[in-house]
Amino acid sequence: MKSWAILSTKEFREGWRSYKFLWIPLLFLFLGVSDPLTNYFMEDILAAVGNMPEGFQMIMPQLEASDLLLASIEQFQLIGIIVLIAVFIGTISRERSNGTATLIYVRPVAPASIYLSKWALSTLVAAWGVICGFAGSIYYTSVLYGSISFRTVLTVIATYMLWLLFVMALTVTMSALFKTGVGAALTIIVIPIGGMIDSIIGSYWHISPWKLARYGLFISEDMIEASHYWSTLVLTLVLTIIIVAIGIWATGHNRKMTNV
Amino acid sequence: MSLLEVKGLTKSFGSKMSVDSISFTLQPHTATALIGPNGAGKTTTMSMITGLLAQTSGTVLLEGSSNIRQHVGFLPQYPKFYPWLTALEYVEMVAGLSHVPKREIRARSKQVLQYVGLEKDMNRLTSTFSGGMKQRLGIAQAIVHQPKLLLLDEPVSALDPIGRAEVMELLKLLQQQTTILYSTHILHDAEKMTDQVLFMKQGKLVEQGSLSAIQLRYADPKYAVQFANQVDASQFASGYPTARCEGSTVLLEVDETLPTMQELMSQVSSTGLEVIKLERVSASLDQIFMKVAGEREVLGNTVD
Repeated sequence: MKSWAILSTKEFREGWRSYKFLWIPLLFLFLGVSDPLTNYFMEDILAAVGNMPEGFQMIMPQLEASDLLLASIEQFQLIGIIVLIAVFIGTISRERSNGTATLIYVRPVAPASIYLSKWALSTLVAAWGVICGFAGSIYYTSVLYGSISFRTVLTVIATYMLWLLFVMALTVTMSALFKTGVGAALTIIVIPIGGMIDSIIGSYWHISPWKLARYGLFISEDMIEASHYWSTLVLTLVLTIIIVAIGIWATGHNRKMTNV
Repeated sequence: MSLLEVKGLTKSFGSKMSVDSISFTLQPHTATALIGPNGAGKTTTMSMITGLLAQTSGTVLLEGSSNIRQHVGFLPQYPKFYPWLTALEYVEMVAGLSHVPKREIRARSKQVLQYVGLEKDMNRLTSTFSGGMKQRLGIAQAIVHQPKLLLLDEPVSALDPIGRAEVMELLKLLQQQTTILYSTHILHDAEKMTDQVLFMKQGKLVEQGSLSAIQLRYADPKYAVQFANQVDASQFASGYPTARCEGSTVLLEVDETLPTMQELMSQVSSTGLEVIKLERVSASLDQIFMKVAGEREVLGNTVD
């Protein structure tokens, strides 16, 4: 689709010129390296800070490489995802409210081209950030705690990419459906808060999109049944397709919301 | 055959009729001014023609087809561009979106930017552009795909007199290549470039035709006789039942009962009063605007 390519170029230029391709990976890199480093140097940090009472003894948990990978994933889930949602929630709605969309909407452009260019670029930025974050995390984990198999790395990252496709599809669809504020509120309720609920009471079920991010690691460590992994994966994919379809419809339907 | 045919176009928001069943046609290579006070429905009408806004009822046909997007160039009143694109990148992007053949995009984009006088600034980010430059970039993006119909919403209202003259000059040139429909509330601009005037008020089309025809209809011709002082003026006015004094000037309605200019001149000179000026005056465009727009107050309705 030609207009999809043109609009994607435009989105890419925006991402590049607003430094999204730089600061988002830096953020994820910071999140990724923080757990292996702080855990490893915790004793030194405490000693350097001092002021420990006489005879104080701390028992450090024995951490495995996979524990640190999981900790990094938790960091991405808690902070990284919220930042990504905040950055991309206005991707369609803000263009409508500031009027830049008007001059695009009056041209013969299919709503699908608009939506898919937005989804593609936001996922690209998110994926690039997450890959940098995992690279940092895996590097320090393997140096300080022992090696992680290549197969695990690949499974964890590939699974997380699917989760990102889902999250960014939801974000862009919310942006197409609502004004920026409403979309942001709803997305933050669905993704991070839904994730918290899932981690609190989610032990009653095994299949939910919010579990997908951790399942990549769990399946590599044989901590879950393969069927749970695959069901979650397929469910997330199906939901993503439905969300994209709604998003494309909303992009066309809400054309009229643009400010002339 | 007419280029654009608008029939019974209506838009209502709830119970409020923004545009109330308007119909008109545009002939190829003409310029038409859509005139009316703020809130008359000019922008809503344009939005419906571009397809941005779905009409409540009515049809818009371009050369008999309702598939319009491909053939329309649109300039909103305040065009907004992506601040992180250069002017050239922006025009190339919209040219591609409007299906300009790939190998022609670069050349044609440069050509229209040169046409609007932005060739020196085409590699600058649009965020650094002044209001006038943005307006000219807006025209460039509207014509790059050589549309059959050019819709301009208040193209000059936000510009200073120099920018205004430049843009009007550009539009006059464009008229040779395309058909223009533009809205304005500045009648002097309409006077410079227009074949047809559509006068909107409260969503309705209240006047339609050539500007000179409308001017004639609302001309309200009068003789104005200016005297050296008010005493002379009132003395002269007392001789005519329809005369009205404005300071030292006497205004006489022109109708069948009145003398011709020649006769009036001899009548004035026979009084022996000191005359400074004798002329026949017509309502100015602004007065016509006020007259057409102002009738709503008489009806007791208000807009907005």
